[in-house]
Amino acid sequence: MSTVTTTPARGKGARRKTTKAKVPNAVWGLIGILVFLGIWELLPALGIVKAEYLPPASEVLVTLAKDFTLTAFWLAVGETMLAWFIGLLVAVLLALVLGLVIGMSSFLRRATNSTIEFLRPIPSVALIPLAVLLFGTKIESSLMLIIYACFWQVLIQVLYGVADVDNVAMQTARSYGFSPFQRIRDVIFPTMLPYLMTGIRLGAAVALILAITAELIIGSPGLGKEIQLAQSGGAIAGMYALIVATGLLGVLINLGMRLIEKRILSWHVSVRGENIA
Amino acid sequence: MKTLKSLLYILALPVLLILWWILATAGGASFFVPTPADLVKTFIDTWIGERMFTDVLPSIRRLLIGVVGAIILGVLLGLLVGLNRTARAITEPVFEFFRALPPPVLIPVLMLLVGINDGMKVAVIISGAIWPVLLNTIEGVRAIDPVQNETSRSYGISGFARIRYQILPSAMPTIMAGIRQCLSIGLILMVISEMFASSSGLGFAIVQFQRSFAVPEMWSGIVVLGLIGVIMSFIFQWIERRVLRWYNGLKEVENAV
Amino acid sequence: MLSNSNGITGGRTLPEGEALLSVRGLKKVYHTDGGDIEAVRDLTFDLGRGELVCLVGPSGSGKTTLLKCIAGLLSATSGEVLLDGEKVTGPPKKMAVVFQEYGRSLFPWLRVADNVELPLKNAGVPKAERKKLVEDALDAVGLSHVPRSYPWQLSGGMQQRVAIARAVAYQPEVLLMDEPFAAVDAQTRADLEDLIRNVWKKLGVTVLFVTHDIDESIYLGERVIILSSSPTVVQEDIVIDLPAERDQLETRSLPRFTELRHHVYAEIQKAKQGHRPEEAKTTFLTNPK
Repeated sequence: MSTVTTTPARGKGARRKTTKAKVPNAVWGLIGILVFLGIWELLPALGIVKAEYLPPASEVLVTLAKDFTLTAFWLAVGETMLAWFIGLLVAVLLALVLGLVIGMSSFLRRATNSTIEFLRPIPSVALIPLAVLLFGTKIESSLMLIIYACFWQVLIQVLYGVADVDNVAMQTARSYGFSPFQRIRDVIFPTMLPYLMTGIRLGAAVALILAITAELIIGSPGLGKEIQLAQSGGAIAGMYALIVATGLLGVLINLGMRLIEKRILSWHVSVRGENIA
Repeated sequence: MKTLKSLLYILALPVLLILWWILATAGGASFFVPTPADLVKTFIDTWIGERMFTDVLPSIRRLLIGVVGAIILGVLLGLLVGLNRTARAITEPVFEFFRALPPPVLIPVLMLLVGINDGMKVAVIISGAIWPVLLNTIEGVRAIDPVQNETSRSYGISGFARIRYQILPSAMPTIMAGIRQCLSIGLILMVISEMFASSSGLGFAIVQFQRSFAVPEMWSGIVVLGLIGVIMSFIFQWIERRVLRWYNGLKEVENAV
Repeated sequence: MLSNSNGITGGRTLPEGEALLSVRGLKKVYHTDGGDIEAVRDLTFDLGRGELVCLVGPSGSGKTTLLKCIAGLLSATSGEVLLDGEKVTGPPKKMAVVFQEYGRSLFPWLRVADNVELPLKNAGVPKAERKKLVEDALDAVGLSHVPRSYPWQLSGGMQQRVAIARAVAYQPEVLLMDEPFAAVDAQTRADLEDLIRNVWKKLGVTVLFVTHDIDESIYLGERVIILSSSPTVVQEDIVIDLPAERDQLETRSLPRFTELRHHVYAEIQKAKQGHRPEEAKTTFLTNPK
C-alpha cells in the first residue's frame, strides 16, 4: 500500500502529477488511527461492550506502556523473535538449496511437482499434535511449525526464480565456459534474488503467525504464551496490551522486511529489467 | 505415450516415498510413526463413520461459512474503501496493523466478546481471514488503469454496472491472490480455534488423540487436515483458472513478445 | 460564413444554431506541486454537423487535454464546450471516444462482441437491437469473423478496429479520436485511415480526429485545425479542398496534397519555434488554377 497520487490526465500536455490534495496522506492516516482508538475507547464507556471484555483503549495503552518497562515482557519478545529468526533462517536455507537443485534440472522439476503441490497446502497447524508429542513445550515445537510453513513459501518463489532465468543468458554463460558454480553465482542467483526476497518477506509474516500460534496453543515460551496466561488469569487489559504488542511486532517485521528488500534490490533493478507493468 | 510419461512423472516420487515408508517401518512400527497399513486401517475406522458427522462436517461447515463471509465482506469493504482516495488514506495504517496482527491472537479476544460457541469460531475465521481479501481488493481497485476509467466514463458506464463490468474484473487477479491467502489462514484458524476452545471438531479430536497418546489416530487426523487443505487448494485453482482465463491468456501473450 | 466573429482568438466559428460542437475560449490549467501549468490557453472553434475535422499540432501542444475537455472527461479551467447548444459538463451520451491506448481501453476480460456491446447494454438498449448494432458495427470495421475472440488475441490494428466498432455501435453524433493510430504500423495505419473515411461517409457522423501526423490530418480531414505549441491557441484553421474520394496512392500524389502538406508543415515548424498568431486566421489557400 504505497502512497497514492491521482493523475487525472495522462495526456501529452499533462504528464506531470497533479496533486489536488491539501491534506497529506500521513495526516489522514493519523486521523484514521485516532478514530479507531476513539471508537475503541467509546465502546466500553457507552456500555455497548462490557468493560471486563473490552477495556477502553486508554487503559490498554497504559498497560502496554507499563509492559515496555518490564524485563519479563522483553524476555518474551526475545523468545518469540528467537524462534522467528531461527525458524525463518533454517527454512530459507533449506528452501534455497533444494530450490536450486530442483529448479536447475527439468527432470527434477517435473518429478517433484506433484509431491510439492500435494504437500504445500497441508496446513502447518496440523503438525501441532506431532510437535507436542516430539518436543513438548520447548522452542523446538515452535521451530518445527515455523520451518514447515515458511519452507514452502520460500521454495515456491525460488523455483519461480530459477525458472525465470533467461535462456539466452544461460547459453551465453555456457558458451563462455562458465563453471556450474559460476553459472549459479553470476546468472541464476541474480535472476532469482528478487523472487527469493519475496519468498523471505512472505515467510517472515508466516513465521510470526506460527511462532505466536505455537506459543498460544502449545505453550512454548514467548508472547503468545503470555497472552494465554493473561487470558486464563483474568488480566484482560494485560491480554489486550500483549495483543497490541504482537501487532506492532508484525508491523515492524513487515516494514523491516520491505526495507531490506528495497535495499538489496535497489542496485538490482537495472539488472533484472524491472517490468513496470 | 505422452500421457503415460507425464503420469509416470506425477506418480513416481510419491510411490517411491511410500515404498521407503513401508520399508522403514517394516521392522515393526516405532511409537511415533505407524506403518502405512496401520494408518489406512485407523483412518477408515476413525473417520468413516460417526466422527464424519460429529467432527469433520461441522468443522468444514464453519470453515466454509467463515471463508465465504470473509471473502464477501472483504470484497465489499475493499470496493468501498478502494474507490475513495481519502478513505484509503484514513484506513491504511489501521488496516496495516490488522494485517500484521497474527490472526490466532484473535481467538482469546473473540472468546471474551462472543463466548465459546460456533459463532465464535466463525467470527475468528472471518476476522482473521478477511485482511488479505480486503487489502488486496483495495490495492486492485487502486491500481486500475486510468484509461479503463476514462473509457467507462465516456461510454456512460457508471454505478453498479461499472463495478460489475469494469472494476471487479480488473481487480480480480489481485483479489484472487488475496482469496488464496484467505483460504489457508481460514483453515489454520478453524483448526486452532477448535484446539483452543472447543469440545468437538477436527482440531479438538486431534488434540484429544495426542493427549491420550493414540498416535495412529492422531496421524490419521493430520491426514484428514492435509486432505482438506489439498482439496481446497485444488478447488481454488480450478476456480481461479476459470475466473482468470483472460488474465492468464493476456500474460502469456505479453510474455511471448 | 468563414469569418471570425466577435474577435476571439481562434478557429472558424459558425452562426448560432449551425454548429453541432462549439468550443468557446477554452482554457485548462493544471495545478501541480511545481506550480501551475497552462496546457491550453484560449481555444475557440466550431464543428458543423457531419464534418470530419483533424486537429494537428506539435507534440506537447495539449491536443489530448483539449480532446478530454471536449469529451467531458476533464473540466476546463474557463471557457466552455457546447454540444448542440448544451454545455458539456460530463461525458455526453451523444459522444464516443476512441483512445490512443486501444490495448488499455478495451476490457481484456470481455470478448470482442461483449466489448462492443457493453456500452449499449448499459444504456438499456433492447437485446435484439443490441445484437444487430454489434453485428453491423463489427461488419463495418471488417471484424465480423472474430466476435468470440478476446481483444488481446488480436493484432494491434484489429484491436483498434474493435475500439472503433465499439464507438460506432454506440451511435454517437460526435466521434472523438485521440491519436488512434499512433501505435500501429504504417500499413495497418493506411487501412484504418480509409476505414475512418468510409465509416464517416456511411454514417454521417461528425468526427474530430486528433493526430500529430501532418499527412494523416490532410488525407483524412475536410478541414484541419493547426494548434500552436503550449500554451495552446489555434494557429490556423484551413479547409482541405481535396476531392471527396480519397485514395492512399492517388490522393497523396496530387500536387494539391503536397502544397497543403508544405503549408501545414511550415505552420507547425513556426509553432514549434514559438511563433504565435497575432490573430488567428481562417485561410483559404489560393487555389492555383
